Amino acid sequence: MQQRLFFNLAIRNLRIHWLRSLLAAIGIIIGVVAITSMGILGNGLTLSVSESLSDVGDSIVVSPHVGYYGMGSSPGNSRISERELEQIRRAAGNADVIPVYSGGERIKVGRETGAAVIYGLDPKDIPLMLDKLEGQYIRGSSGVMAGKKLAEEYDLIVGSRVLIGEEETGVRVTGILDERGMGFDINPDYGLVFSDQWYRNYYHEEGYDSVIVKVRDLSHIESTKAAIEAQLNRRETTVDVYDTRAILETILETFGRIATFTMAIGGISLLVAGVSIFNVMMMSVMERYKEIGILRSIGTLRSEVRKIFIYESLLLGLGGSLIGGLLSFIGGYVAILIMLEETRYLFEPSSLVYIPYGMAFGIVTSVVSGLYPAWKASNLNPIEALRHE
Amino acid sequence: MSDSADPVIVFRNITKVYHLLGENVTALLDVSGSVRRGEFIAIMGPSGSGKSTLLNMLGCLDVPDSGEILINGIETTNMSDDELTKLRRDHIGFIFQQFNLIPLLTARENVEYPLLLKTGSADCDDRCLDVLRSVALESHLDHHRPNELSGGQQQRVAIARALVNDPEILLCDEPTGNLDSKTGNAIMELLSRLCTHQNKTVIMVTHDPSLAVYANRTIHIVDGRISGVA
Ligand SMILES: Nc1ncnc2c1ncn2[C@@H]1O[C@H](COP(=O)(O)OP(=O)(O)OP(=O)(O)O)[C@@H](O)[C@H]1O
Ligand SMILES: [Mg+2]
Repeated sequence: MQQRLFFNLAIRNLRIHWLRSLLAAIGIIIGVVAITSMGILGNGLTLSVSESLSDVGDSIVVSPHVGYYGMGSSPGNSRISERELEQIRRAAGNADVIPVYSGGERIKVGRETGAAVIYGLDPKDIPLMLDKLEGQYIRGSSGVMAGKKLAEEYDLIVGSRVLIGEEETGVRVTGILDERGMGFDINPDYGLVFSDQWYRNYYHEEGYDSVIVKVRDLSHIESTKAAIEAQLNRRETTVDVYDTRAILETILETFGRIATFTMAIGGISLLVAGVSIFNVMMMSVMERYKEIGILRSIGTLRSEVRKIFIYESLLLGLGGSLIGGLLSFIGGYVAILIMLEETRYLFEPSSLVYIPYGMAFGIVTSVVSGLYPAWKASNLNPIEALRHE
Repeated sequence: MSDSADPVIVFRNITKVYHLLGENVTALLDVSGSVRRGEFIAIMGPSGSGKSTLLNMLGCLDVPDSGEILINGIETTNMSDDELTKLRRDHIGFIFQQFNLIPLLTARENVEYPLLLKTGSADCDDRCLDVLRSVALESHLDHHRPNELSGGQQQRVAIARALVNDPEILLCDEPTGNLDSKTGNAIMELLSRLCTHQNKTVIMVTHDPSLAVYANRTIHIVDGRISGVA
């Protein structure tokens, strides 16, 4: 009941100074919309990045160390030798070890010419690495599988003929691969996948471009990585060993940081709003000096005077945050529409949580800004306040 | 100083010094006295003599630099701010020259306010209407804001507000100072009736010697000292 009384006083004072109150609330509205839209944008960014990344979090990629020229290979063309592959197999234990040839080549489909990434994989490894959308996996050494994006670009279907390189060696498409997203091991979406034997016959090369180790149990990824490094890099660094999960984590972490940073920028506008609430509350205290004196003289406790003023800033914060929360849908929509040209991320729960977050920040900012003015009001000397005109 | 059987206020050796720009202003110097229940006291004296300062001390709005004040026999010297505030709320009614109603609240709500502070209860309508009737405010004015009322009407609301918690003591600082003599006299009649019929103790600061006729005793203050009691 008493609370309602103090609440009433707060509401009436806000209503009398409606313009001033409105301006202060608009500050909070802008602050909440800014912080929330930035949060939604950052989250949309993270979502869109993680969506375009393939979920290969279980692999270790071994590639020749940059600057090291392995035995039997010429400078500038370092590769992983059969002997090193054997060492990797030994170190990897029961994990799948998949040697990979990779390169690029001109291709011709019908009249159209272009370029494609070329991979050579052992046919028995292909199903381990890649999902097929249509047709068949490669058997034996003939045939090629096309990445989905490449297939779309060149209208490739099962049975299409592709001419490779200057000599225009013809191969037939046996299957189309499913889209995989950007990966840290291989990226066949815009590529062609051949058998390793075909690749060797075509390029006449010794050694592999990289070796992928797929662990069966994610918890072994660190130890397997360490074992490979111990085997191959004992005397000098011959290979670089990446763990795709760590790369994935680093990238997501970076985007998370970007998201936090953009939100911090939104937070600055909330800070400004806090200053304006502080200003309005101080004005309210100054103007109501005498009224505070009256309230105190007829028996209002200091804590009760504090409540009247804190309710006032709380109401400003609540009002501003509620409206700000509603407008955040629009703000977030516009932000991701402009930046990502994609609005479906708005309705992800991980985006929507920024709305209650932003509102809570708005309310807390208002109340904190009102603390000092309320304290000041409650500590006025009643007699001096009464004498005030 | 009469030796009272039932002193509602006792003050002993009150001194209050204000410090202004390195200069000391002695508002009250070693002032003592006591007030019986049901007494009507007038405090008179030249401007700046310390009348309001004394009244504020008796009303626990301010604390003396030295000396002691007992309200209903209770020592107030070591009370906390909250205790003094509750004492004002429950035992003392203030009536000011400027009326000092809360501008945000209607007449009725102004009267209701101290009661809500004290009881926290919602059903105090009867009590509010009773006191408003006892100060003879026209009932259609209940829902007016203070700035829509005349001076006399505002002072009636202020008296009703002072009475609502049924305090023993009413402290009035020039209650008729802003009113014409006819309205002022009506207010004085009201205060006088409260004193005789409801046994309220009234202490009133005034400049007007003609108002002294309402008082049982008049305390004269000059330069912060009591110069005489009549
Ligand atoms: N807050 C204050 N700060 C400094 N000096 C003060 C303060 N309040 C009162 N005084 C001084 O104390 C003295 C007594 O003041 P007080 O208000 O009690 O006088 P008063 O008798 O009520 O005068 P008036 O009849 O004009 O109302 C005056 O000299 C005044 O200047
Ligand atoms: Mg005075």
